[in-house]
Amino acid sequence: MNQNSYTDSSIRWIYPLPAILFVALLMVFPVLYTTYISLTNWTLTSGAAPSFVGLNNYAQVLVEPRFLQALWRTMVFTVSAVAVEAVLGVAAALLLNRAFVGRSVVKLLLLLPLVATPVAVGIVFNLFYDPTIGLANYVLESLGLPPSSWISGAGTVLFSLVVVDVWQWTPMITLIVLAGLAALSDEPAEAARIDGASEWQIIRLITIPMVMPVIVTAVILRLIDALKTFDIIFAMTGGGPGYASETLNLIGYKYSFEYFRMGQAAVILVVLFLVVLACSVGITRLNKRTAA
Amino acid sequence: MRTTLKFGLALALGLGMSGGAMAQTKEIRVLLANHPYGDILKAAIPQFEQQSGIKVNVESLQESQLTTKLTTEFATNSSSVDVFMTRPLQDGKLFAKNKWYEPLTGYDFSDYPANTVSIVTYEGKPNIVPLVTEWQVLFYRKDLLAAAGIKVPTNFDELAAAAEKLNTGGVAGLASRGKGAAAVTQLSSYVYNFGGQYLDKGVAVFDTKEAVDGIRYYGKLVGSYGPRGVTSMSWENILPLFQAGRVAMWTDASVFYGQITDPAKTSLGADKVGIANFPAGPKAHSPFYATSWGIAMASQSKKKDLAKTFVDWATSKELAAKAMGANITMARTSVWEDPAVVAKVDPGLVETRAFVAKNGTPTDRPFMSAVGEARDLIGEIVLESINTKGASPQIDDMAKERVAKVNTLLRDTGEYGQ
Amino acid sequence: MRKLGLGIVFYGAVALLVAIVLLPFLWMLLSSLKTQVDIVAWPPKFVFSPTVQNYYKVFEEQDFIRYFINSTVVAFFAVGVSLLLGLPAAYSIARFSQRRLALVILLARLMPGISFLMPWYIIFSRLGLMDTYVALVLSHVLIALPIVVWIMSSYFETIPIELEESAMVDGASRNYIFLKIILPLSGPGIITATTLAFIFSWNNFLFSQVLSMEKTRTLPIAVFNFLSYADIDWGGVMAASVTIMAPALILTMVFQRYVVSGLTMGAVKG
Repeated sequence: MNQNSYTDSSIRWIYPLPAILFVALLMVFPVLYTTYISLTNWTLTSGAAPSFVGLNNYAQVLVEPRFLQALWRTMVFTVSAVAVEAVLGVAAALLLNRAFVGRSVVKLLLLLPLVATPVAVGIVFNLFYDPTIGLANYVLESLGLPPSSWISGAGTVLFSLVVVDVWQWTPMITLIVLAGLAALSDEPAEAARIDGASEWQIIRLITIPMVMPVIVTAVILRLIDALKTFDIIFAMTGGGPGYASETLNLIGYKYSFEYFRMGQAAVILVVLFLVVLACSVGITRLNKRTAA
Repeated sequence: MRTTLKFGLALALGLGMSGGAMAQTKEIRVLLANHPYGDILKAAIPQFEQQSGIKVNVESLQESQLTTKLTTEFATNSSSVDVFMTRPLQDGKLFAKNKWYEPLTGYDFSDYPANTVSIVTYEGKPNIVPLVTEWQVLFYRKDLLAAAGIKVPTNFDELAAAAEKLNTGGVAGLASRGKGAAAVTQLSSYVYNFGGQYLDKGVAVFDTKEAVDGIRYYGKLVGSYGPRGVTSMSWENILPLFQAGRVAMWTDASVFYGQITDPAKTSLGADKVGIANFPAGPKAHSPFYATSWGIAMASQSKKKDLAKTFVDWATSKELAAKAMGANITMARTSVWEDPAVVAKVDPGLVETRAFVAKNGTPTDRPFMSAVGEARDLIGEIVLESINTKGASPQIDDMAKERVAKVNTLLRDTGEYGQ
Repeated sequence: MRKLGLGIVFYGAVALLVAIVLLPFLWMLLSSLKTQVDIVAWPPKFVFSPTVQNYYKVFEEQDFIRYFINSTVVAFFAVGVSLLLGLPAAYSIARFSQRRLALVILLARLMPGISFLMPWYIIFSRLGLMDTYVALVLSHVLIALPIVVWIMSSYFETIPIELEESAMVDGASRNYIFLKIILPLSGPGIITATTLAFIFSWNNFLFSQVLSMEKTRTLPIAVFNFLSYADIDWGGVMAASVTIMAPALILTMVFQRYVVSGLTMGAVKG
């Protein structure tokens, strides 16, 4: 035993300690603080000292139609965006899962949307969707279709935002599934081919089931990220027209930093936090199951 | 290990140094709005710096971001702002109640109309120097109206008829703001001319038949003849459309006249653009005529002497005269009485101002602390009205419900019935 | 013949995919070279005489160089601090299978930024830290740290434990092993983590939108403000968008291999 034995045995605590302290200070403490604020009637603009009001804010906010609509909208946005991304992403991965000329270039291009600054992506799509000068309506008109109001219409705005999310994040699923496919053994597919199975049957009955755990992981990660979507919605619509694209993130931002109703804002943040936490717990459960 | 340590040390030092504010004595921080007068100030600041020896750190922000930023900084006592542009009708109540304005007791307000000074006065002390007055007007394309054989609309019936006739494939007949909360100020003149109001003595009253008629009429016109996607448009979006020749008529604040005819941004000649009085409604003819912008000192400023010097300069008669030359309609009385200055202002602005000065309504929005939330609430009704071209059966109920909510806001801040 | 037909279908599908991915980038680039008059033209112009006027505006009138420097400084220090905190933590998590610890740190990756932002905003403003690099860097570390921990703990697991065991037999301490044996072998992992952490800090909007003001404003905020400043100058905004995306895109092209492995390893997004 050398003189470093003390450090050696305690290294499992010393090494992660700074990181853990940091996370506790900047994440755990703020979340507890938010929960505390949610029990007070604090508004930044009133000048009055906050007082403890128990669950009053919850009783007010949780039945507020604007909040409930935002909650529902968040679900709709998340589920529809990720569903489309999953289907398109897996299809693209199956398409690209072979050797062909230019494969590495295509893979590089797929990376670009993932690293593009979301705010700027939102702005570019704003020009694209502009009802009077945008490319989107030009395409529709060229195809002989009536123009749409895209992000300016209450009925179309959520769909238009889903399109942006799909454009930006489908490649993520494609790349993850491609990596999963690369790790698969060829043998089952080869055996099936020898037995005379068609390519479609092989994909449906062999490849997809084998790569399913990877797809599930990718989809859940996307679900959590889609739940948190803020930048593109804020930059493109600010939650409008009216409240038609206001998600929990947006309404939380507005209550905090536009209305300065800290107590009520904290309620929204706590709810959002719980929703994401529930999904995260789901992930770890699933990961355990797939690992087992 | 040693290199890691060095790196860490460098990090810590770098952070500490870059985080600390550089203290200089003759330096002030000024927040301006992205308003034509803000641009004039910004361009003239180098001169001010030379004359006074005060360095000005200037920042321009979009108007709603300006309000948010100021509120944030003042409410958290973290402000380093010394002077800022402010909207008396938007920020005024809230800022004054929280004592965020430094009272301008020493300032000479004799050159300003009494009613504009009274709006910026709180507990007997004026807080803001009025800069710009704006009023609702009708901008129109002379060439398009002439080609369609229409004379300039003078009342709401003519306006609707003209909008319908001028609304052709590529050109919107009538544009006005459709983006909920942003539309509230432009809607106000429609409501007033129908005989309605937003607030009456501190009580929300925009659910009266008159007000609702105004909201329906606005929705019908803007919904039927407005540009596509109008419900997400504020003036920032309509202005370029007008400049691109895609709008025949536009009701908005007079302040945009200079920009509409700016040759750098539009191929429309100034000869094609007209400006007229906002048309008369069935009950009244009283479009808004309001102090849209003023300038104020922060009570949290630690450099009030320097700030005062800046405010005096920024509100000087010389700059006001210069701004008038760019068709910015200043609040000072004397510039409107100086024939040499008025000669440089577009006659259309002079005429429409003469009208509203006599007949106008001095506010364009619910004048209260929680004005932002109130505008969001009224904005919801505007959207419903535009989306259904004014026909929605829900509008009356929505108005009643939003009135109750605005009254709650008024009660929360102790302004109800005052 | 059937094979040729399939080949055409296949390449057609790939071409469509590539076109969809590229279209927004190309349209942004084209629009950034147009005058306002060309941008508002209908039908949209595909052929026009290009101008660099918009880029001139972005850098001369809008002071983007300063925002560019701010973004770089914040991302640089955020990544630096994250490596300092994250590398030892990741090593410990990998070697001692500390799944719970890993989860706590990864929670920062999963939680919506807005739920810590309001308390930060209150605390930072009380401490007088609003609009300082300290506040921004701290917030961005919360983005970069989970990326570093996630990627590096997976990477450390791939380094054979036999290396460490033989060094231990020779009497080397854990510190020595970590610093002199493991880290030098971890170049590719560190490049992956650094690149991704940098990109996600660079792209972050929300934290800077609330915590930065005039002095420390980063590029995403500047681009957004430019959009809402006065009547929309599309050409200028597009030039600004190109400016902000370019570094992340170039970094990705240079470190393509690393970025792919990092993203697919944990599907990281800030």
